[in-house]
Amino acid sequence: MRPDAGSILIYGERVGFGHPAEAARHGVATVFQEQGLISTIPVYENIFLGRERKFSSAGLLRQKTMIREARDVLEELGIDVDPKTLTGTLPFGTRQLVEIAKAFALSRVYPVEPIILLDEPTSALSDNETAKLFDGMKRWRERASFVLVSHRLSDIFQTCDEVVALKDGQVVDQRPTAATNEEELHELIVGRQRNEEYYRETIQRQAGERVMLSAKDVSRAGELHDISLDLHEGEILGVAGVLGSGKSTLAKIIAGAEAQTSGAILIGKDRLLPGSRRDGIRHGIGYVPAERGIAGVIGSDSIDWNITLPNLSQINVGIPGVISARRGRQMTKTWIDRLRVRAPGPAVLCRTLSGGNQQKIVFAKWLAAKVRILVLDDPGRGLDVGAKEDIYSLIRQLAADGAAILLVSDNLPELIGLSNRIIVLRDGRISAQIDGPRDAKPQEVDVVSAMV
Amino acid sequence: MLKTVSHFWSDMTLRSTVLPILAIIVLIAYFSMVNPLFFSSANALNIGRQSAVLLMVSLAGTMVILIGSIDLSVGSLVTLTGILVAMTVDSLGVGGAALVGIGAGALVGLINGGLVTMLRVPSFLVTLGMLSILAGITNQISQGRSILFMNETLPTLVNGSFALGIPNVIWFALIATVLLTLVSFRTVLGRYLFALGGGEIAAAHAGIPVNAYKILAFMLAGAICGLAGVLLTGQVGAGTPTAGSALLLNSIAAVVMGGTALSGGVGGPHRTFLGVLVIAILTNGMDVTGVNSFTQDIVKGVVIILAVSLTIDRSKYAFIK
Repeated sequence: MRPDAGSILIYGERVGFGHPAEAARHGVATVFQEQGLISTIPVYENIFLGRERKFSSAGLLRQKTMIREARDVLEELGIDVDPKTLTGTLPFGTRQLVEIAKAFALSRVYPVEPIILLDEPTSALSDNETAKLFDGMKRWRERASFVLVSHRLSDIFQTCDEVVALKDGQVVDQRPTAATNEEELHELIVGRQRNEEYYRETIQRQAGERVMLSAKDVSRAGELHDISLDLHEGEILGVAGVLGSGKSTLAKIIAGAEAQTSGAILIGKDRLLPGSRRDGIRHGIGYVPAERGIAGVIGSDSIDWNITLPNLSQINVGIPGVISARRGRQMTKTWIDRLRVRAPGPAVLCRTLSGGNQQKIVFAKWLAAKVRILVLDDPGRGLDVGAKEDIYSLIRQLAADGAAILLVSDNLPELIGLSNRIIVLRDGRISAQIDGPRDAKPQEVDVVSAMV
Repeated sequence: MLKTVSHFWSDMTLRSTVLPILAIIVLIAYFSMVNPLFFSSANALNIGRQSAVLLMVSLAGTMVILIGSIDLSVGSLVTLTGILVAMTVDSLGVGGAALVGIGAGALVGLINGGLVTMLRVPSFLVTLGMLSILAGITNQISQGRSILFMNETLPTLVNGSFALGIPNVIWFALIATVLLTLVSFRTVLGRYLFALGGGEIAAAHAGIPVNAYKILAFMLAGAICGLAGVLLTGQVGAGTPTAGSALLLNSIAAVVMGGTALSGGVGGPHRTFLGVLVIAILTNGMDVTGVNSFTQDIVKGVVIILAVSLTIDRSKYAFIK
């Protein structure tokens, strides 16, 4: 990705990368969270992927040299992997070490000292693998520089000399790790004053007594462990947690988009069929997924077709399975007006709409289905300020009308501003439960400290 | 003017509807100039007779391509059901034989759809295998020979005309086009098929039983192929083990030229009708103007590539493979 403005200097030289190959020539290598290795080829081919030119003579690759050099690199780094192994057969953590070896291998091809960018390297590693990685970094830093991006503050204090805190796309501060501590970092990351008006806090109502939905000991192997919760009438129940805490999975399970391994979701006396959206809808659960473009709306279909999709029985003409296009358009127009969707008409394709308007379509689809429970996964993601405000007042209004809302979000101010109560997940377990009444909202620091 | 042109160029729906119509007009004008006999009602009926079965098969293919899958077994299924009809029409009568053909088609569709959804094998491979299996079965039961029959009702029913002097085989294909277009846009089934092709995850989240409707799409395609087999056997007057061989490629070309995206969710039977017309007019026109059959293949190939490169919506593809 290219920056719109600004520049990057390497050893005082101004560089502009538009392509990973250019970055590689300057020794910059990224170890991505989603792994950047090809699993169907051997380790040594991955290590020199894109740099084969160095090993080619007359168009043929000198395979033996490649293997030997790859073995050298791995041995120097103390990584115990045979370069001829098929990459896909290695465990996840080991593959990450191979990626680091790949970065170091740059110095064999170009006359550079590697600069290695690690993006959340520990999020998918076991404790043992993490220890191995950090141990390696201590030794390797003699010959390379590292940039570590992590939401785990303990990672940063274990490995880094300096830390840069980012908030809303801006650098808040840069300081030596020795001169700061976790609490201070929490405040740096969070910092901002909340704006009550933005989240319509003044009209936040008290949650009703009636339990609309409850989860009993819901677990999913490796992701969630014994989650129990009650969701009340008129309540906005926030779910906080870092990426990988299981909060999105919890939303999917409650909505029926994914099945739990054990435990149950109950509505009154009914147990929902695990992993059945159909049953969820029958019990009045709407689901606004985080991946709006692929799971929320169908971009190649019109607004009309999107809103009516789960509501075709309402526009039936009396013959089973036959629908009225006219009544579909009417239904759509009603919702376009009610949610103030900015679009020329019901026949407009959803992919031409802005994110905010697409999100309104997703809401409209469920409101037209008269759901009483809404599961929202990061409903403000990627929306501009105005669209967010629209969505927030809609959520607030729905709760005021008695709908029960489960709100999963990465955005803490949003979560705190909107929720009556917040459940914090850490590593798939509930680590805290924090009340958020209208005039005594919790501090972000309180929530963050339960997240990490 | 320039603005309208660029708007036209960016509106894919418009573009993929108008271009085939434009192609049809250009082709008709050209062939009529070269050979005045081309532009006659007799030749129009010829084009209809030659392409009625292709239209049926293309409609079948459309229903599967709409959900983002593909059915490569359509051509060989038409051949097989045609043979089955020829073998049974004397003992079971036209109604019975038609039921056998349509039933066998639906059964093959059920198997195709079942394998795609249960074993999660891509439809391309499942139906490629099915193509081979069906061709083998056809040759085994027919011993590679044409199957003759005595029944006269079937040929009369298919080739006769109940109205306007238009052969019934054309009526069948036209009615099928209208019915399937209605199914696509005015029924729950149609909406669900479009939704599956447009965004399977969003469709599943809306509570659509995804697998059941995928299987239904394949069964519908199979049943239409079965009906096409009935028509083909009636038209030829015998069951022939090679009859359907050219149908597959022509039908895929017709579907895509019409503007139904191979990625699914866009298009429909009415579009396929236009695509079939382009291919039918092109083929007939080259016949009438005396282009030899080898050159015909080359021209057809060029036209298909050209047409598809103009009509496909590249914004739906992340990579072109």
